[in-house]
Amino acid sequence: MTAKQQELLSAFVDGELNQQELDELLSLMDSDESARADFLSYQFSSDVLRGYTSRSEPIDLSSRISAALESEPAHQPAEVAGEKARVLKLPDWFWKQTAGLAAAASIGALAVVGVIDQPQNSVTPELAQAQPQPQVIQQQPNIAASNRWTVGEREVEDRLNNYLVDHNEYAGASGLFSYARVVSYGEE
Amino acid sequence: MRFLLHLFLAMALALPAVSYAADDEKAIQILERMTEAAKNLTYEGVFAYQSGKNLQSIRIYHRADARGELERLISLNGAAREVIRSNDMVTCINPEGKQVNVSRRPLGRGFPSDLPRRLSSATPFYDVKLGDTDRIAGRKAYELNITPVDNYRYGYRLWVDTQTYLLLKSELLGTDGDVLETFAFSSINTDVHIPDHKLRSQMAGEEMTWHRSEPEEPINTATSSQQSRWQASWLPDGFSQVAYQTRLRASNGADVEQRVYSDGLSSVSIFIERIRARHNHLHGGSHVGAINAFGTIMHAHFVTVVGEVPADTVEKIGNQISFNDTP
Repeated sequence: MTAKQQELLSAFVDGELNQQELDELLSLMDSDESARADFLSYQFSSDVLRGYTSRSEPIDLSSRISAALESEPAHQPAEVAGEKARVLKLPDWFWKQTAGLAAAASIGALAVVGVIDQPQNSVTPELAQAQPQPQVIQQQPNIAASNRWTVGEREVEDRLNNYLVDHNEYAGASGLFSYARVVSYGEE
Repeated sequence: MRFLLHLFLAMALALPAVSYAADDEKAIQILERMTEAAKNLTYEGVFAYQSGKNLQSIRIYHRADARGELERLISLNGAAREVIRSNDMVTCINPEGKQVNVSRRPLGRGFPSDLPRRLSSATPFYDVKLGDTDRIAGRKAYELNITPVDNYRYGYRLWVDTQTYLLLKSELLGTDGDVLETFAFSSINTDVHIPDHKLRSQMAGEEMTWHRSEPEEPINTATSSQQSRWQASWLPDGFSQVAYQTRLRASNGADVEQRVYSDGLSSVSIFIERIRARHNHLHGGSHVGAINAFGTIMHAHFVTVVGEVPADTVEKIGNQISFNDTP
């Protein structure tokens, strides 16, 4: 990859691409296998380093990593409204297996610090019927930064995905593009 | 007195016409031709889907002929997920989870075919303007700016091919004008023959787990005496019911009722699913891209509102769904 292309990738990760550069990057990724691999590792690194620094869910990574995190006791779902900064120490195998982290290391970060919005917005039927329902509305950032439901439970996620597919049949003005949301669900 | 009544009637009739006139006639026409083109054209291309920091590249094949429509989308990044749509089925293939979900499409083909007719009902709730011409994927495109009249729906910027009227690029705009999602073709070919094999999945089916859901008898909402006991007490102005169906989910045997409400451009579905076992459900809001969902549990049912509208809208709708206790 040329230096110019490297620059494009890193500008994309920093969210600094204009439309023309974005188009350029996309056609590059279509035509160049190694550029695509680099892009994926860049974005992966970027997610790890920065994805947790805003209010976003902790599972916006590959399923392997989220499984590893969930198995650590420190990362079990917190109390409702128990939102605070945490330090995530990722297991060693993760660092070894992640190819693109040379780029990440240049930023000098060894641990990921951030605010984790733990999966707290699910409720059991019993709880809901026993008492008036508390208004636990997750305050969402106004930008759509997530490409998967922030629900932390596989079964709830699957149900919402079925709904997403069924609703797409009726999605309006996005028309022919609407199933892109289904096809790219959960990809980082 | 009768004169006053006539005057009042005349004014009431004139009002929608005034707001319609405020819209760009040509822009509405382009919008109508766009929805036809997406159905009737055969095309093949690659488009980008950007939502927040996520960027995906997706290949699309769409074939329209006397047998109807056939469409296949394949993700070009990460897992090669696919969605294949035929006249009556939607098949979602997830190679990572080795799962295939097949869902029968509702009778009447739902919204896309209805859109031109419904567009006229959308005009009081959106300001539709024709902008400059632009170039997208090497083609000249009309730019349409669609601004909602309130904060209960999103705005759109659409770029439509001046030759074929195919939608080339679409931006979904938040209430403060931020771009929430972008879909944009990077390459598109409308003068193409798509052979059958390109519309078939490359996955070998035998190693996959298949889930099917079948619709029950369709219910005609206009004439049905079997009225649902569920009622949406609040909807944004201009939203009315456009579809209603129940499906049987084969994976868990649950009946799922879906009602779809639309203002002509944006739509919202309410899903009502009877709880059959001790399961959890979404409580509050969540989102995927610009699709917002709001979930709650009422009378032993999961009640979920899903739509490409702001989080406040699905929440407000979800909080005002009522259940009629007396059969």
